[in-house]
Amino acid sequence: MPYRMLRLVCAVGALSVSALVSATPNLDPLTSQIQPLAVSSLVLDIGKAGDTLVAVGDKGHVLLHGSADEAWHQVATPVTSLLTKVFFLDAKLGWAVGHDASIIHTRDGGQTWTVQMQAPEIEKPLFDVVFFNANEGIAVGAYGLFYRTLDGGEHWQEEFHQELLFEEDVAYLADLKANDEAAYLSERASLLAHFNRILPLKDGRLLLVGELGMLAVSADKGRQFSRLELNYEGSMFNAVELDDAVYVMGLRGHVFKSDSSLQAWQPIAIPASSSINAALAGEQDDLILIGNAGVIIEVNGSGQASLLARRQGENLVAMARDAKGNLWLAGSQGLFIFKQ
Amino acid sequence: MLEKLVNGFETFLFRHRLLVIIGFALMTLVLAYQASQLKMDAAFVKNIPLNHSYMQTYLKHQKQFGGANSIMVAVEDTSGNIFNANYFDILKNVHDQLFFIPGVDRSQVKSLFSPSTRFTEIVEDGFAGGPVIPADFSTSEAGLETVRNNIEKAGIVGRLIANDYSAAMLTAQLMDFDPQTGKPLDTIAFAAQLEKELRGKFETDKVKIHIIGFAKMAGDVADGAKGVLLFFLIAILVTAVMVYLFSKSVVLTLLPLVCSLIAVVWQLGLLTVIGFGLDPMSILVPFLVFAIGVSHGVQMINAVRRRVLDGQTSKAAAASAFRSLLVPGGVALLSDTVGFLTLLSIDIGIIRELAISASLGVAVIILTNLILLPLVLSFANLKGAKTPVAQRAEACGAPTGVDWIWRTLSRFATPKYALMVLLATAVLYGFGFQQAGQMKIGDLKGGAPALHQDSRYNQDTFYITDHFSITTDVMTIIVEAPPEACTYHDVLAQIDEYEWLMSNTPGVESTASLASIAKKVNAGFNEGNPKWQVLPRNTASLVQAIGRIPTTSGLLNGDCSVMPVYLFLKDHKAETIEVVVAKAKALAAKMDTDSLKFKLASGPVGVMAATNEAVAAAQLPMMLYVYGAVFVLCLMSFKSLRATIAVILPLYVVSTLAQALMTRLDIGLAVSTLPVIALGVGIGVDYGIYILSTMSVKLRAGMAVQQAYYEALVERGSAVIFTGLTLAIGVSTWFFSALKFQMDMGILLTFMFLVNMLGAIIILPSLAAIFWRKAR
Repeated sequence: MPYRMLRLVCAVGALSVSALVSATPNLDPLTSQIQPLAVSSLVLDIGKAGDTLVAVGDKGHVLLHGSADEAWHQVATPVTSLLTKVFFLDAKLGWAVGHDASIIHTRDGGQTWTVQMQAPEIEKPLFDVVFFNANEGIAVGAYGLFYRTLDGGEHWQEEFHQELLFEEDVAYLADLKANDEAAYLSERASLLAHFNRILPLKDGRLLLVGELGMLAVSADKGRQFSRLELNYEGSMFNAVELDDAVYVMGLRGHVFKSDSSLQAWQPIAIPASSSINAALAGEQDDLILIGNAGVIIEVNGSGQASLLARRQGENLVAMARDAKGNLWLAGSQGLFIFKQ
Repeated sequence: MLEKLVNGFETFLFRHRLLVIIGFALMTLVLAYQASQLKMDAAFVKNIPLNHSYMQTYLKHQKQFGGANSIMVAVEDTSGNIFNANYFDILKNVHDQLFFIPGVDRSQVKSLFSPSTRFTEIVEDGFAGGPVIPADFSTSEAGLETVRNNIEKAGIVGRLIANDYSAAMLTAQLMDFDPQTGKPLDTIAFAAQLEKELRGKFETDKVKIHIIGFAKMAGDVADGAKGVLLFFLIAILVTAVMVYLFSKSVVLTLLPLVCSLIAVVWQLGLLTVIGFGLDPMSILVPFLVFAIGVSHGVQMINAVRRRVLDGQTSKAAAASAFRSLLVPGGVALLSDTVGFLTLLSIDIGIIRELAISASLGVAVIILTNLILLPLVLSFANLKGAKTPVAQRAEACGAPTGVDWIWRTLSRFATPKYALMVLLATAVLYGFGFQQAGQMKIGDLKGGAPALHQDSRYNQDTFYITDHFSITTDVMTIIVEAPPEACTYHDVLAQIDEYEWLMSNTPGVESTASLASIAKKVNAGFNEGNPKWQVLPRNTASLVQAIGRIPTTSGLLNGDCSVMPVYLFLKDHKAETIEVVVAKAKALAAKMDTDSLKFKLASGPVGVMAATNEAVAAAQLPMMLYVYGAVFVLCLMSFKSLRATIAVILPLYVVSTLAQALMTRLDIGLAVSTLPVIALGVGIGVDYGIYILSTMSVKLRAGMAVQQAYYEALVERGSAVIFTGLTLAIGVSTWFFSALKFQMDMGILLTFMFLVNMLGAIIILPSLAAIFWRKAR
């Protein structure tokens, strides 16, 4: 008899627990976007909405990290495409972009998201998004994909940056346009290099880095770019500005540094030959670089680089510091704190 | 009618007793020869429920995807670093040796040295790559450094190289048929080859060889099973001593032992005749046959000697004992047989073999111990036989030790004690029922469940799972689709989603599928940029990514109409498997389309899942069949419902307690333990039948229950207790078996045999006291 009583108690307990769980909507493990492994699967960028870190990645995942605890909390989004970049104008207004030319928008610091654009049919991903104010912003991506909005993302206009074509391609395209409009459009769609990163500099100019050593600068919010000479033909994936220096980084361990003239790119020798994906200012006048093959590299004030750690079989893509000063890294195995 | 038949049979047999004995002798010679031809046999497919839907999937795709019958060989450098010339020389030799062992599917041997082990790296203008061990490989320092770099680039650390670079792995798939002979692969001989050709030749102080896989395990199990011979000898010796103590006569000791051994010989010989081998699991049958034979033999010599002491001639005594024991003995043995035959309802090869060989063995005992034994006894000179213990006491008239025991026991047949006993039984049953409800299905511990945790095989398993990111606990979901399906984004996206949701299941440590690998390849095609780790929507890009993945990866077949999703689990405990299977099924139901099917399940854990389900599903029907059979047999022989219930109720209580014992001892319900209850009930019913058959005659004659029980005890009590002890001794030697499952079976069977005996002499009379109260 006592056993039966016990079972009854347990059953009632279980019932009330299940009632609690089912009260939270959309948590069916078979359909929900919210999944326990989101935090440890592919994460490609970490943005900052005030004190909250906002990470984006695989399958439209967005994860928030407040100052309350060390945990990341996943929030639902209206997309399932891989998100590549997130940008916050302030603590509330933010945009995230990704594959299928997806752009999603938040007005509450990342808690809820709405779709602004999605175009799987063009088969191109967006890789970066930047807003100059609450209305005007641009999004860039593969094959020279370039969109601009003037109304906070309600409408996005495509732009074609012919000035970034190689000379021979310009002639080829002009020829094609005269003879065959359809072929012209289809060729044009894939002739430009991938635009991997667009970085607003302190002086108001925009630095664009991309495929095949492409480096370009714009002084008019990206309406017109002029190419910069890098002397390297491999792809650049990212760029950062620290004090009065600008760094670009990319394929096979290539990192270059220039002063704000953007004219004198000097290679920095680093002890790694895999792609470098991101850089962040360290705590003592140094620079932390991360990249494929799990490399974490420190470049000190005098330009000496050393390998801090190597995470086997992991590609590292993004970094951010939380309000407590923890350095969060993100990549193919998700988010983790790196302790130096 | 039955009596007439028995009498006629007796007259016939005893008239031609010499001829019959000669016939038995000839038959024994023939079957002894057959028995000497008996082979150990441990085919993989016998261990799995072939008709289970998972196993249909498994069998359908086994050829393409290897299925579950593979071996892994880890070659460890004890210095902790494999990058030295000596090690690479040995590794190369091990690879070549493994490649040439007959039965190995040579196209599926994978190691550092197999040509399919390649690396790829991304350079400015695309990919560069080559075999990890280059064509111009030398074991010079520079050569080893090149290999070390290639290993990094190939991303095989954790799979083909230990995480700490202290060992390298070779894996091979086995064929079901020996390509040279066309016969089914002899798993045990194959395991012996592995031991001799790999471990024997290459293991040194510096290099250790760890081998795991079903074939190796079967070989180790077969080796462990050889220890059984020693246990058998011990069981014979102990039993002989007991029979001698019981009979105080060398002749009366030898005869039942010899007849029982003849039964064993017949049983083993008949196995060869019907084309069976001896499986490590059904090796328990000879023990059972011997023990059951001895216990029936003891009943027989007991009956014959009583009659001789009463002044009859050996022949008359033997004939009369034959007459009186053929029916109860026959019914008891028949119910054993039926109990075993119910195991046929379970769709697992080795359990069926066990059922057939055990029922054969028990049926043989009817011939050897109920017919041959009295015939031989009729020739024996028993005049010199001493008065057995129980009768001596009776003769003296004073209540000596044994008689005191019978008197005390007979009190259980009085209403006062009966109520106490039944109350205690009810409490025990309640406890047992509660515990039995918590009995677990499947294997509860890591490693190979057939073997002890500290066995070489399980130590090897633990070594490999510790040092490599490999687990042997793999379940494979097979995705079936139309040909060329992998060139469609939708199809791969669906597989990707399935894999992702499965990876978010408790117990799943990691996953792999064509979809997730294609995403990584696509990133590779885009300069290794992780931001391109997606399934391209563009068909040309998708085909380009898929095209890099060879069919040898096991991720797709030739026309990519079959694409497995591999689930690597944290262990193979039943609870883990249940959770994963439930989710996999629910997802499949949700995501299956007309052309795309997610099918459970292959891989070692897929097989375990099917086995667990088959075992769990078989348990209730098996119990119903065995109890049904015993019920009908008792009803037929007693023609009384009360008597039938009095026999069966204690059995049921004891079965429940045996399940509770399994819970307490962490023994899971598995292929090896499932038959134990059927065996226990089938054999346990004998005690009750023997006691009640004597009692019911006296009860019908109007005797009081207590007196009837007392007289039944005097006549059969010592034989019943003796039987319980003999059976228990026969199987208890297994506690010391090198095989974990034999130990489990030994514990459970010993428990069943002893406690069923106690049930028959304690609970049964108490029930009788209640049931026949009015008769007084």
